Amino acid sequence: MQPDASALSAALRNAGIDAPVAEERLGLVARPAIADTPSALRALHAADYEMLVDLFGIDTGEDIEITYHVRSFTRDEDAYLKANLPYDAMLTSVWDVYPAALYPEREAAEMFGLRLVGHPNPKRLLTSDEFNVPVLRKSVPIRTDIELERPGISREHLKAAEEANDNG
Amino acid sequence: MNPVLVAVLRALAALGLMLANGVVLIYMLRKVLGHMHVRLGPNRVGPFGLLQTTMDVIKLLTKEDVMASSVDKWLFRLAPLMVFVPAFMAYLALALSPTWRFSNLDGGLLYLFAVLSLVPIGIVIAGWASNSKWSLIGGMRAAGQQIAYEVPLLLSVLGIVLMSGTLNMTDIVRSQQGLWLGFLPRWYIFPQFPAFLLFMVAGLAELNQTPFDMSEAESELISGFANEYSGMKFGFMFLAEFSNSFIIAALATTLFFGGWLIPGLERNALALQLGPIVFMIKTYIGIFVLMWIRGTLPRVRVDQLLALGWKRLIPMSLAWVMLTGVIIKLPSLFGGVG
Amino acid sequence: MANRRPAAKKQPAGKSAQPKQAAQSKQSMQPKPAAANPHLLGEILPEGAYEVEVLPKGLHRVPRGVDELATEHLIMNMGPQHPSTHGVLHLLLEIDGEEVITGEANIGYLHRGIEKLAEHRRYNQVGTLLDRSDYLSGLHSELAFSMAVEQLAEIEVPRKANWIRSLVSELNRIASHLVWMGTFGMDAGSMPGFLYALREREALLDILETITGARMMFNYVRPGGVLMDLPPEVEPMIRAFLADFPTKLEEYDTLIGKNEIMQARIKGVGVIHRSTALAFGLTGANLRATGFGWDVRKERPYAAYPELDFDIPVGETADCWARYLVRMEEMRVSTKLVGQLLDGMPEGDHSAKVAKVLRPPAGEAYAAVESPRGEMGIHLASDGSDKPYRMRVRGPAYYALSIIDEILPGNLIADAVMTAGSLDLVLGEIDR
Repeated sequence: MQPDASALSAALRNAGIDAPVAEERLGLVARPAIADTPSALRALHAADYEMLVDLFGIDTGEDIEITYHVRSFTRDEDAYLKANLPYDAMLTSVWDVYPAALYPEREAAEMFGLRLVGHPNPKRLLTSDEFNVPVLRKSVPIRTDIELERPGISREHLKAAEEANDNG
Repeated sequence: MNPVLVAVLRALAALGLMLANGVVLIYMLRKVLGHMHVRLGPNRVGPFGLLQTTMDVIKLLTKEDVMASSVDKWLFRLAPLMVFVPAFMAYLALALSPTWRFSNLDGGLLYLFAVLSLVPIGIVIAGWASNSKWSLIGGMRAAGQQIAYEVPLLLSVLGIVLMSGTLNMTDIVRSQQGLWLGFLPRWYIFPQFPAFLLFMVAGLAELNQTPFDMSEAESELISGFANEYSGMKFGFMFLAEFSNSFIIAALATTLFFGGWLIPGLERNALALQLGPIVFMIKTYIGIFVLMWIRGTLPRVRVDQLLALGWKRLIPMSLAWVMLTGVIIKLPSLFGGVG
Repeated sequence: MANRRPAAKKQPAGKSAQPKQAAQSKQSMQPKPAAANPHLLGEILPEGAYEVEVLPKGLHRVPRGVDELATEHLIMNMGPQHPSTHGVLHLLLEIDGEEVITGEANIGYLHRGIEKLAEHRRYNQVGTLLDRSDYLSGLHSELAFSMAVEQLAEIEVPRKANWIRSLVSELNRIASHLVWMGTFGMDAGSMPGFLYALREREALLDILETITGARMMFNYVRPGGVLMDLPPEVEPMIRAFLADFPTKLEEYDTLIGKNEIMQARIKGVGVIHRSTALAFGLTGANLRATGFGWDVRKERPYAAYPELDFDIPVGETADCWARYLVRMEEMRVSTKLVGQLLDGMPEGDHSAKVAKVLRPPAGEAYAAVESPRGEMGIHLASDGSDKPYRMRVRGPAYYALSIIDEILPGNLIADAVMTAGSLDLVLGEIDR
């Protein structure tokens, strides 16, 4: 499976999308602007990238980077589209191009606090109704303040214990 | 003796038989299924787990009888009785031997089928009164299924009625006395084998047993119509289900396997004294076969079940009755003995 | 169809660093009044604004979920506690008598935040989390993770470690398929199949316990290799299993598969065409049953698979029957593979020399293995520290579940049960 950037670049260029395509450690990565993502995926789908393998987000610290991992069986090739969204932005659904996106988009919106647009069933997926916390953001701590409300425990105490553990 | 007293004693004896059967059958089911599933079944309470059912009955009697507030109270209470009482009434028609019988009805067979057909009403009432969607679905499925299979059940035994000329259970058994060709007992299983197969299938469907237990499909509806019941109300319905399986097996024994008769020893006085034991042995072998089927086969889907009942079994049993009638009358048509 | 978009109130911006009271009650199943529907995250769009003109290939309808305003059809809850659904799966079914009009899966009952927790664990501790995601095939998830770490850190795994990895993977595959087979039979009402399957699984779990030390939560495959070498007493155990299992498998096939009642229940039920499967991201046996022969072991070989000789079973009719046949055949193939692996087990190290506290260089990597449910992928992002920056678990059953809304309508409830069972769902990896 020799990654060949030509098909990916050609597809994106034909759709008029300006996105740098690079061969990174991960594989073939294209980075369109977030507004171009639905049309980029449509172009990829037309260029024989039959399956959306995965869709997820990463909190980079400044914004949220959504990754679309697509696969072409005819060319035996994987490609990644990465687009960056500011916090609390709108995530446009691509379910009409790849219905596999139905669940992962709900999860990404829920976990990162995005607003899902154009999705037929934009309910929460994994957490319960009253739980409005975008868990996977780096700003959300792993231990809540309520958990830490115990005598003798505080956030500083916890941090010190972790550092001692790391050094020891 | 006062005839009323005799009748009451007979009814009590039937009740006793029903309850004793229930206890034994529940234990037998759990042990048989257990061993078929490569596990042991009950083996802690009493030697070999024999006291398990007794303890279960005590548990059911002492359990809190929970009745959800949204159920239809009077129907909810009525349903277990509607399921239990017809089963009890059916016992009254059984004949374990010429002397050991609860009644001597000339229309015994008809009475038995008529009474058994009251059971689906109880199930539907249970499903409806529970005021729960799953119970409702279970009750409706049971109603559809049992009503569909009443007809083939009855039709399949009509051939025997034609051959024996009577509906009296004792007389049907008596007409199976004797041997053909010196070794084959005159049991109706041999000339009426297709009717036996139809009877088995229809009987399994009447009993709501796997492969026809859609109304209690455990993996879908948990307990179907009996979902909301607990305590002794549940105990009644549970017991009625096992009693029904005894009734169907006893019917099969009476109609097809010669009841209490031991081939070749029909006039022997001792054999007649042992009649009830022989009857029970034959019935329990039949029940074992029913449990064997239950522990092996998967469940038939409800629409396939109803299609089987209406579209296949009824025409087949009608055809068989016609065939039996024709064959019976054939000798007389040609001027022979008939 | 009536407008299914009740007005949603705008959500407060989710920037809260203060998590609210974790009153984690699941939403009640009573239909909520339209104005107070707090679980909608989306924008208010004018009516019909998202009606697509052309449905994506392979779809028959827009998957909208259950319409809580419907009045004539019964809305049934199947689950989350249910003897049939595999794990805590909550299926909302809108039924008309016995027929399913719409179905929606309501998941999250087993959500434990594995992806968030992984960001606070060292690399050799993440295996404990992944064991618990797909609990029936923990070794596969661990293997995918270890492969991702090895890609990032450029660790070379010794040959023997790869062979041991494949061996335990195949044993785990047989164990997982046995559970699937048992529960599939039990869904149809045939209880003995389940108990016989578990009996065989006991032998496998004993073998895995001898190798890894645990029966289910292994944490055995680590970045660099495996934790311990194969103990000598395990080879006769595996040989005994291999001698016994094929005949037993034929027995179970006769009991469950060749039974006419069962065949009537599953033939023609739950048909998933290839275009639908590809559109929804299906992989594994579910995809191969449609005739599309993609198997990660063959197409993107890993561990010892490049050196092994095996065939991939591919189905034809794309219904529950085809999925059943494909998985039964996979068990036979796995049995042969275990024999090959045991015969050709090389000498060598069971693990490369890796640092006690791994600090892979910054970057991203994706590694996938063929788990019993399909392509299990781990996407790992590292920032150079000793804990992963982001770990994404691409669970195959996650995508298999999303197809439920598409294929359930038109089937009976009983068929819905069989279809969900044939897809081999494990809620642990769906909910994580």
